[in-house]
Amino acid sequence: MAHSILIVDDEDDIREVAALSLESIADWKVYAASSGAQGLALAIKYKPDAIVLDVMMPVMDGPATFRELQKNPATANIPVLLLTAKVQSSDQRRFADLGVKAVLFKPFDPLTLADQISSALGWD
Amino acid sequence: MEPAEQSALSQALDQLWARFLPQIEERVSILESAAAAISADQLSTAQREAASAAAHKLAGVLGTFGLARGTDLARELEVTYSREGVPAPSAHIATITAELRAIVASRK
Repeated sequence: MAHSILIVDDEDDIREVAALSLESIADWKVYAASSGAQGLALAIKYKPDAIVLDVMMPVMDGPATFRELQKNPATANIPVLLLTAKVQSSDQRRFADLGVKAVLFKPFDPLTLADQISSALGWD
Repeated sequence: MEPAEQSALSQALDQLWARFLPQIEERVSILESAAAAISADQLSTAQREAASAAAHKLAGVLGTFGLARGTDLARELEVTYSREGVPAPSAHIATITAELRAIVASRK
């Protein structure tokens, strides 16, 4: 069965490349949101199998959005992967400590993004 | 992945690149303005913060379109502009900013 996934990123180029990659390579159903608030709404509406959440977003960043997802019983069990361009190890540890399933790094390879997500979520 | 699928993805990525090129070039322009301001010792805090954000976004996206060197350069600029204070006048910043522009222009 095809998976469904929600991508939340304020950068439209990243969002569209990720959606293209996951739809065309993995044949997943992709929902896309350009802000944390929109991501929360779409997560409640569609209950995706997983959420990829950009770290640096204005107003509500990735960690804040993750905490809101955790507070809501309707979305608390959806696995979340953070997506970040930050490569410093202190940032990586901080993100991992939040309780997300995995941290993915920008830039990602469109050819292998679906494999990375599948591997992190045990979808292999 | 089948070669035909890979080719289709590559073509689709090229189309996305063409669509987003104006905003990518705009981010490079922000970095060029910042580099010029550093050379003139006139970089404002707002300009530095805008340059840091532009470099961060370029670092995240260029490698996704196959421009790994562009990501490396943008990351170096992000580190430079994310530090507090005005960077010292530096030919290096102008040089890597120019290289970044050339890398973006080189992708068809």
